Amino acid sequence: MEEGKDKNKNQDAASQSDLTEIDACKKERDEYLDGWKRAKADFINYKKDEARRIEDALKFANEAILQELIAILDSFHLAIESHENKEETKGLLLIMSQLEESLRRFGLEKISVNPGDKFDPMTEEAIQEISSERSPGTVHEEVGKGYKLYGRVVRPARVIISKGQAN
Amino acid sequence: MSKILGIDLGTTNSAMAVMEGGEPKVLENQEGNRTTPSVVAVSKASERLVGLLAKRQSVVNPKNTIFSVKRLIGRKSKDSEVLHDKAWLPYEIKESDSGGVLIAMGGRDHTPEEISAMVLQKLKADAEAKLGEKIDEAVITVPAYFDDSQRQATKNAGEIAGFKVRRIVNEPTAAALAYGIDRKKEEKIAVYDFGGGTFDISILEVGEVDMGDGKKEPHVEVKATGGDTHLGGDDFDRIIIEYLVVEYKKQEGIDLSKDTLALQRLKEAAERAKHELSTTQETEINLPYVTSDTSGPKHFLIKLTRAKLESLVRDLIDRSIDLVKEAVTAPSPKGAGLKLSDINEVVLVGGQTRMPAIAEAVKKLFGREPHKGINPDEVVAVGAAIQAGILQGDVKDVLLLDVTPLTLSIETLGSVATPMIEKNTTIPTLKTQIFSTAADNQTSVEIHIGQGERPMMADNKTLARFILDGLPPSPRGMPQVEVTFDIDANGILNVKAVDKASGKTQSIRIEASTSLNKEEIEKLKQEAAKFASEDAKKKETVEARNQADSLVYVAEKSLKDAGDKISAEIKDSVQKQIDLLKSVKDGNDTGAIQKAIQELSAELRKIGESMYNKKDDAQPGDNKSV
Repeated sequence: MEEGKDKNKNQDAASQSDLTEIDACKKERDEYLDGWKRAKADFINYKKDEARRIEDALKFANEAILQELIAILDSFHLAIESHENKEETKGLLLIMSQLEESLRRFGLEKISVNPGDKFDPMTEEAIQEISSERSPGTVHEEVGKGYKLYGRVVRPARVIISKGQAN
Repeated sequence: MSKILGIDLGTTNSAMAVMEGGEPKVLENQEGNRTTPSVVAVSKASERLVGLLAKRQSVVNPKNTIFSVKRLIGRKSKDSEVLHDKAWLPYEIKESDSGGVLIAMGGRDHTPEEISAMVLQKLKADAEAKLGEKIDEAVITVPAYFDDSQRQATKNAGEIAGFKVRRIVNEPTAAALAYGIDRKKEEKIAVYDFGGGTFDISILEVGEVDMGDGKKEPHVEVKATGGDTHLGGDDFDRIIIEYLVVEYKKQEGIDLSKDTLALQRLKEAAERAKHELSTTQETEINLPYVTSDTSGPKHFLIKLTRAKLESLVRDLIDRSIDLVKEAVTAPSPKGAGLKLSDINEVVLVGGQTRMPAIAEAVKKLFGREPHKGINPDEVVAVGAAIQAGILQGDVKDVLLLDVTPLTLSIETLGSVATPMIEKNTTIPTLKTQIFSTAADNQTSVEIHIGQGERPMMADNKTLARFILDGLPPSPRGMPQVEVTFDIDANGILNVKAVDKASGKTQSIRIEASTSLNKEEIEKLKQEAAKFASEDAKKKETVEARNQADSLVYVAEKSLKDAGDKISAEIKDSVQKQIDLLKSVKDGNDTGAIQKAIQELSAELRKIGESMYNKKDDAQPGDNKSV
């Protein structure tokens, strides 16, 4: 009887140490599995990020050259505005629309601004404030066109803001 | 574990970076820019605007647009600097009950900390949006000359913005960190920082401090600081604009400084010209229809050379150099009390240092090449991110992955080393490629595994060889032997070769694929570089030889297959070319081999042509039966 008890005790002790070992192994396994899952998730996320980065890089690759061309568009606008005889500038106007149309195909879109609109610093840059009949804080006049490339402002529209009637 | 954001909270612009995959990475803000103007405003519609948006409305809302707040943070309202700045800053500055500074914006008084916190809050929100995770901790940089009160106020600004500020770091120290020169012993470093609105020079000394337990840690000490808080890149722009306005007045008699739109265009053009002249010698400022008078539209066309620009701003550069000299040589506390030749490293920070004349002046002063290379607008933020990475270090990546130091290759026809795993590939990794036989009825292949960068196997180190035999006899090129290189995380390489037809497999395990010591690796790499052109020639010869071999094989087979269908004349001429190619192919004259290959190819075409013609002659009615 006594012997049997001892045996049981030994068995208990043995299974106890087995259990501890199993627990340790399980813990280690969980750690490794977790690490592996994380690494895999990191990799998948990295691939997604990379794909988005490449897409963005392609989308905005033209930004620098578009910026340069916007300056030329500005000059066209000024040229057309400075001539009173509209017949004379018709050719210029057509060249300008041609250029605008080409740039539109590369994702460049004009920011629409109308006198009387509330000033919006998201898309507009105020360069001056004057007294005018328009309500204060609204656009009195757009003096330079603004442009967006795939939704991102590449150049804000230049506007003169009204501070309301004098007095 | 969330990331710690490294922030360069600048006087005119701020930037942020994080450590990603062990590398510092500058984060773009919501507008897609890598720097954010340190500007805050309450618009006329009572909206709070930060960064570019605040800047866009500053002209029409100067009283409620707050910039340069860094000049005020942590100062007393009676400080001489505050009194000086108060005179030109367009917004209202008041004194608080405790003698500090209060700024009026949008009908409320704010402390400078609160204003800075608004900038930091935007950076935090933009970084979180970019990274897709919450960021609660930050490392923020301050000028080396900031006193305790200014540092504490900057820290408070971070806490107001919702950050736990892990550390306030000196800007020049961050720059040194970005270039990795903070760990060198006993070095003296000069950091020349020419920003948009301020010029700072800092002299640092890197030493070691005993951490008590016998361990020594690198320590950066600021020996001296100097500079001019009202000298910056903006002054360069202003001088260029003034020059252009004066020139135009001389040319056309019109004063453009009164025309807002013209001035705006001129400002942009001046900035662009300044940037362009950092890389070119001459630029053209061309603004058609810049203005008009009674005679009609007027245009602006002026050429600006680098030499002219340099002469315009020479005084500013000279002034910065004088300040550097003072900071280095003046006795303490005004300067570091050193000789210029005591300085071991020079670092350039700030966008204006892109100007070649500045880099040149600094180089001449110290007689050594300054560190550049990292974008000077971002180098401080990069350093802050590296500091954040060091702080994060206690939870270092448990999993450190190694790379293969040298390329692992397999020998192919003509003793060419064909790479299987390129050097610097992160391990564990597995690569598989299919190879074939070089001769008819070849029943075994030798897999010869080598390590090194040279294109010929004989010049690399042999790791192992084994033979895969029992391949069923078949024409050359037919068998498919799949070779797999598999390196585990411990650098142990397993190479397996399988014949796809018979399923026969042979493999080998190489324990020492990455166990080369540093010198061995270096030696192999240097050899590769040294023999690069010679090796390329050798490889070209072998490739030509291989091509010759397969062409001879094809030609002989064609002759045999064609049998009597071609004339003896063609047979003879093809045979002659085959013999010629055979005679030159084992020599070292690559040109001769390539020429013989071309000639034989031309002859071979005749076989085909002749056979088709014959077919047409013999069976003229064939087409009909279809």
